[in-house]
Amino acid sequence: MSDLLGYLLTGLGIGAGFALVGSGMVVIHRVTRVVNLAQGAFAVLAAMLTSALLATGLPHGLAEGAGVLVAAGAGVLTGIVAIGRPGTEPGAALIITLGLGVLAYAVEVTVWGDQPRSYAGLPGAVTLGGARIQAHYLLVIAVTLPVFAALMAFFRGTDPGKALTACAENPYAARVVGIDVRRMGLLAFGLGGALGGLAGVLLTPVQQVTFDSDVTLIVNGFAAAVLGGLTRPGVALAGGLLLGVAQTLIAGYGGGAHQLEIALLVMLAVMVAQAVRAGSVREVAR
Amino acid sequence: MSAVAETRGLVVRYAGATALDGVDLTVGEHELVALIGANGAGKTSLVRALSGLVRPDAGQVLVHGRLAQVPEGREMFAGLSVDDNLRLGGWRNGRAGRATGPVYELMPELTAVRHRAAGTLSGGQQQMVAIGRALMARPDVLVVDELSLGLAPKVVDMLVGHLRRLHAERGLAVLLIEQNARLALELCDRGYVLEAGRIVLHGDADRLARDPRVAAAYLGGHVAAEEPR
Amino acid sequence: MRTRTVLAAAAVTLALPLLLPERHLPVYVLLLLAATVTAGVSLLMGYAGQVSLGQAAFYAIGAYAAGLSAVHGVPTLIGLLVAPVVAALAAVVVGAPLLRLRGHHLAFATLAVHLILLSLLGQGTWAGGAIGLQGIPPLSLAGTPLRDDVGYAYVAWAVLAVVLLISHNVVDSRAGRGLRAAAGSEIAAAAGGVPVGGYRLVVFALSAAFAGLAGGVYAFYLGYLGPGSFPLLLSIEVVVMAVVGGLGTITGPVVGAAVITLLVQALNELGTRPGMPSYAPAALSYAVYALLLIAVVRYLPRGIVPAVAVLRKGTS
Repeated sequence: MSDLLGYLLTGLGIGAGFALVGSGMVVIHRVTRVVNLAQGAFAVLAAMLTSALLATGLPHGLAEGAGVLVAAGAGVLTGIVAIGRPGTEPGAALIITLGLGVLAYAVEVTVWGDQPRSYAGLPGAVTLGGARIQAHYLLVIAVTLPVFAALMAFFRGTDPGKALTACAENPYAARVVGIDVRRMGLLAFGLGGALGGLAGVLLTPVQQVTFDSDVTLIVNGFAAAVLGGLTRPGVALAGGLLLGVAQTLIAGYGGGAHQLEIALLVMLAVMVAQAVRAGSVREVAR
Repeated sequence: MSAVAETRGLVVRYAGATALDGVDLTVGEHELVALIGANGAGKTSLVRALSGLVRPDAGQVLVHGRLAQVPEGREMFAGLSVDDNLRLGGWRNGRAGRATGPVYELMPELTAVRHRAAGTLSGGQQQMVAIGRALMARPDVLVVDELSLGLAPKVVDMLVGHLRRLHAERGLAVLLIEQNARLALELCDRGYVLEAGRIVLHGDADRLARDPRVAAAYLGGHVAAEEPR
Repeated sequence: MRTRTVLAAAAVTLALPLLLPERHLPVYVLLLLAATVTAGVSLLMGYAGQVSLGQAAFYAIGAYAAGLSAVHGVPTLIGLLVAPVVAALAAVVVGAPLLRLRGHHLAFATLAVHLILLSLLGQGTWAGGAIGLQGIPPLSLAGTPLRDDVGYAYVAWAVLAVVLLISHNVVDSRAGRGLRAAAGSEIAAAAGGVPVGGYRLVVFALSAAFAGLAGGVYAFYLGYLGPGSFPLLLSIEVVVMAVVGGLGTITGPVVGAAVITLLVQALNELGTRPGMPSYAPAALSYAVYALLLIAVVRYLPRGIVPAVAVLRKGTS
């Protein structure tokens, strides 16, 4: 019983990271229709930078903040390259973000080397209901949930948030009312970059990061995001948490190192089920 | 009378095909102007050029004051509420200019549905939201692209009533693009006829309505004045 | 004119293995194998409109099929022929459900296939696990084992020639025209009676067969296979080659593979010079893939081969 609670909380912590990466993809996709393959790179970039800044003696908080900020900037730059040219197809933009993800490898390897990096997170362990878990997992959850609440408040309660939704719903009408759709796309990329960066700085103390850690993050993030059809950040949160818990439970109860495969199979099953359903809807409509 | 919106020798091409070929059109202050023409005549290109959504390949678009567009097909933000649709209409004004109260005063029908998603409304309600959204920009001239398309006559009458009142009470100039030429020429002071990207006729709405060419092509063969009302 | 160009290219590339210094032959072999895999990707992306981020999975499947059968005593030539068949069968099994997906969904699905395969290979003792499959015998042709790079250079040449010939015929076939129509508008093509789903699966299987055949040659050439031989980056690399060369062209894959391989090779030599940091070769090759991919998609969206064709038309 106490094992279960421990696994659950650890899983929620890991899943919160996936949810942040996935919701970043959702925020970008719903406005620009681009699936950003550089999303995992934002997390790695922020994590590496934070690690380097901490090593120079910058205090916690500031270092993480700088990491997230730089990831947001990287997001905007990705947006400029991917959708900056008017008329770039989402498919072409996807390939461009793939290129930018690989470019991030070159930058990260050059600046920080190819060895895994980590840093200390919230120290100590907490005993909850008989389960001992690393305190840092609780910190990850405690940061992620308010961030999602803020994200929801931003989309539902502010005009710029509504304008982003408007661009997602009807880009033509958005232009008619004078919303600069391209600029909103860049804002979405910046927001996506910050969310990815936050995932990176939060997870690194419990999962060390190498330059190619982005693959695991993006696969899990996409799996979380695809549950909500890549348009609903709230579903991405639920999906990410579920994925994290499922993976931790399976690993904890003797599933060994099959976590990533589970995410992959869930993702494949969800996508095929969605495609079959959409296909049958289309046939009924005909 | 000075112009609030005009085009001079406007040319718009898409991928080599000419949509507009030297269009001169003027909408004066407080004026109601109709633009009629068949499908593919270039009406929507003209709307987009006036709104700054396409760049002219030649000629000029001059807008003195503010222009707002009611786009063809209403173009709702379907998942957002009526109120949010209206608020975003005031996007360019800054936050202070996004209060939606005046629109509900003008079109009280919208008050009851203000929190509903725009995509769930009837066509007539959506057209009101589209007009309200355009009004939120506090325009001097309103470009209405296909007011009546797909709407029941009673609903169209109500919308026309709103437009007349806006014009009378606020002095708003209107450029009305319509397939329903009879409706447009009844409502407006002046009119233009667009064919294959060129203005082929223009003048007072009454005179246009009596023009046999207009009658033959756009009014079902009957001269408007002879039609019983 | 065109026939003459093709013959000249064939003559030059056939003479090269004899003229090149020994140390450059591995590059020649690997370049042609990459071009073979890329030909499949180009067919898939250019004609079926599908992005695959997992093509190297089929390269790995072909390599393991050939390697495993040879290790278990099957004649090597049979093993080489088994490689594309197994890869194509795997593609049919995987493709039947996954080809319902489009665009980025399919891209992620193929990426997932690659990652799942890597995990299976790493954990399967039958495949040598993480250590890999060792002691694969060299390819034997007419009873003579090929032990020199020159021999493999000609095998790779022949394989690429066969693959390009098949591509050429597919592109000109009814199925090819149907697919091109489907890449434009799937609904219109389906309404016109084109069995879009079936053709897509056939092209997917064919592109996997190309990759599998190249993988078979690779297995015999290196004599060793491990999960580490087929990193995710390999799948991305062939996409870069296909996009850079020009999708849906016959010569594009060869040009793309040549440009990327030679550039990476040149930078690799630069990066391994004394005094260069240890990370230089890796960083330089990542940068090349990334910058070429981005530059081509942004500025030459149809790739090098069509762009050059347009230039030549313009000047003549």
